[in-house]
Amino acid sequence: MSGTYIWRRIGYGLITLFIIVTLNFVIFRIMPGDPTSLVLSPDFTPEMRQLLLEKYGLDQPLPIQYVLYLKSMLTFDFGRSFYNRQPVLEELLARLPNTLMLLGTAFVLNVFIGVTLGLRMATKQGTRLEAAVTGVSLFLNAMPGFFIGLLLLLAFAYYWPIFPIRGTMSVPPPTEFWDIVLDRIHHFILPVAAVTLSGYGSWYLYTRNNVIGALSQDYVLTARAKGLPEQVVLYRHAFRSVLPPIVTLVFLSLPGLITGAVITEQIFSLYGVGRYLIEATTQQDYPVVQGAFYIIALAVLISNMLADLAYGLVDPRIRLR
Amino acid sequence: MRKLLTLTLALAVLVAGNALVFAQEADWGVRGPYVDEILLPIIADDEAQLLALLRGDIHVLPGRANPAHLARLEAEPNVDVTVSPGFHMFYLAFNMRKDPLDDIVVRRALAHVIDRDEIIFSLFQGYMLPLAEFVPPASPFFNPDVDVAEYDPELAAQILDDAGYVMGPNGIRINPRTGQELRPLELLTPTAEEAPTSAELGVIIAEAAQAIGLPVVATPMDFNVIVDRISKETEDGGRNFDMYVLAWSLSRFPTHLYSLFHSDFDVDGGNNNPGMRDPQYDAAAERVFRPRDLDEAFEAAYEAQEIIQWLQPYIPLYSRPYFDAFRSDIVTGYVPHLGYGAASNVSSSIWTPLNIRLVDQERGGTVRFLLDVEPGNLNVLVGTSAYDSRVFGLVYGPGLITAEPYENQDFPWEATHWEVDTWITPEGNEGSKITYYLRDDVTWHDGVPFTAHDVKFTMDYLKEQRVPKYQTAWIDYSHAEVIDDYTVTVYFNTVSYWHTYNVAGFLAKHIWENVPVYDEFEPWKEPHPTVEGLTMMIGTGPFVFKEYVPGEYVRVVRYEDFWAGLDK
Repeated sequence: MSGTYIWRRIGYGLITLFIIVTLNFVIFRIMPGDPTSLVLSPDFTPEMRQLLLEKYGLDQPLPIQYVLYLKSMLTFDFGRSFYNRQPVLEELLARLPNTLMLLGTAFVLNVFIGVTLGLRMATKQGTRLEAAVTGVSLFLNAMPGFFIGLLLLLAFAYYWPIFPIRGTMSVPPPTEFWDIVLDRIHHFILPVAAVTLSGYGSWYLYTRNNVIGALSQDYVLTARAKGLPEQVVLYRHAFRSVLPPIVTLVFLSLPGLITGAVITEQIFSLYGVGRYLIEATTQQDYPVVQGAFYIIALAVLISNMLADLAYGLVDPRIRLR
Repeated sequence: MRKLLTLTLALAVLVAGNALVFAQEADWGVRGPYVDEILLPIIADDEAQLLALLRGDIHVLPGRANPAHLARLEAEPNVDVTVSPGFHMFYLAFNMRKDPLDDIVVRRALAHVIDRDEIIFSLFQGYMLPLAEFVPPASPFFNPDVDVAEYDPELAAQILDDAGYVMGPNGIRINPRTGQELRPLELLTPTAEEAPTSAELGVIIAEAAQAIGLPVVATPMDFNVIVDRISKETEDGGRNFDMYVLAWSLSRFPTHLYSLFHSDFDVDGGNNNPGMRDPQYDAAAERVFRPRDLDEAFEAAYEAQEIIQWLQPYIPLYSRPYFDAFRSDIVTGYVPHLGYGAASNVSSSIWTPLNIRLVDQERGGTVRFLLDVEPGNLNVLVGTSAYDSRVFGLVYGPGLITAEPYENQDFPWEATHWEVDTWITPEGNEGSKITYYLRDDVTWHDGVPFTAHDVKFTMDYLKEQRVPKYQTAWIDYSHAEVIDDYTVTVYFNTVSYWHTYNVAGFLAKHIWENVPVYDEFEPWKEPHPTVEGLTMMIGTGPFVFKEYVPGEYVRVVRYEDFWAGLDK
């Protein structure tokens, strides 16, 4: 992997970022209405509207707004939300731990359960067990996330109330350290389960299908002919060959960890990035959506680059120039 | 009282339930609070909120609207649902600038084809109140004698026939001005994903209109697009719509008759979306907006309602009452407030937080009161959502004047009484001047007395900082004179009795005088400079703000020295 390649990738990344950043500015300004048009009050006069536009800096010409916007993106000073006047970066950072905790845990479980099951069931193709696991996985994968969330809530927070119904802590919260830790875990079990149940299926199916394909290849036949144990054939030969696309998928999925899971956050009342983003988009809260989408764009670009690099590491046939 | 009874009876007929508590049934008192603490857990999801009440995680569930949830709650033996007619108005609006909706005949014919009862039963299972008037009946300014267009499709067809809109061969009426079939009339509605009942309502109205030969077509579209199309002027000075359905949240005062329909607001960004321009109405609306006294306000409001009911720029359709649910086996003492609900509008109705108590103990304990949405900002000059206001209401109280819960008449709170007069401004104009006589036993949560200096400071600060949220309070404010610690005269540059309600004193001078930029101040995060355990978010209300954990809950505790406290 040459230094030239890395610099070239960074250069392309910066150009892409500039285009995204510019689109991010333009898209919200060409949308119908503006942040003040959503203030629906009989007492809201044109003068009041003008006052708000001045307050938000939207009375300035678009080129000036654009320059100020670029400056705010470069300095990571995204300003204050139009809606609640809170610093955008501060609020994003405050919400990120919950989102990472929810989606990070669910992501690890998704990959672990999906890949492990996929690998196992690929070797049991045609059995009743494989048919059952595949059926359940397909079913859960096809079910809407909100439906799984609500079912879990009804089952384990109402009819058999062993889990809390909302949030990440009891109200009022415990005060001892270990009680706090256990309380947090207790609150995260249902939402993590909801995301995992609706998400592991795609990893399972992807792995299973690829490993089944790999097991029919000549090199696997050769390995078996050499008398290698089945475990070695499975892990060192079949799985090794499907590892690169799985690693790529893992890296490409990483940005999703910070975009939040809107529906799960809503059902379980989690203070996360997803709900913040959705609310800001519908309210045309420019500072929030611009700041958040900028960070997401950065995460996507970095993850793509990391995926490329990792691809070279897990597949020695790949050489990046 | 007659009006209230009529309303509640009408609602009782509509709502087939037996667990409803109406306003006139509740006892209420000025003394309180009874509980030690109110916890407000944040629960975002509708279903989860319902389950939380049934589980007992929360005791108060304000502002229910989902008919399925209401039916479920009414069936629960341990749940009371209170019903209070509100100031909500869902309406159908016309663009009066465009043919044929500029013709009053067409608008009035449409008013006769709308069957409100059918709409309410089919779309809301009866959990709405029919509304045909431009001031909701919960307002003291409601005129019960205006003639409303009753549901009568035959009359509607007759009106059109008589005016020359004869039925054409294709079932579409002929426009007498052009001799051609009427053009399709687009009715803008929110999409079914955004507001399913509004989208369905559009279809119902369109079908009713088509049945009498008016080619109305319901067109669902994104909410932002609707707002953009109805409020932005086109190049020719018109607006790009024929009809739309949306809602307003009005107030107990009738000032919307001015701001929604006066010709001054038929401008870009103004709220007179129908484009009503009627000199006789304008004159009445101006008197509604700037009455010299209450008598003139009533007289002008009644007159304006009569005119507008005839001109029909809107067809009011229904009004959503406040349904607030309580765990009756855990709490009692909730007070349904006409127009505001028992728990939906704490900033306008302090009676439930003041009177609520646990069923098994006369005093003390904790009540859990739902917060449906994250507070946006707990700076009282910035936070605008209903959920911010829920916290503000507990901490700041209702202010100088409030309203009693049965008929919404003025009720003195931090002012014992007030006098409304006029003065001549330096420019030679007449303006209002209002003198408030304040209670001398009100203190801020840090023990500092609440005085006339706080009132003057608040008004000066709002004007100096040009705070958008309170623009109606400061836009005509001139100055204030402190007569003594408990008497203050506030001067306005215009005459209007409504200025009486715009004067506020919710900013503690000793805290806010050191705040140079109001919207960067986060009083709920800053510790109080002298009193341990307090933040800078101090008010004069019955509860002291203790903490807000983002995403989780808000906690307030009883203010021991509250002027109307039980031990006072």
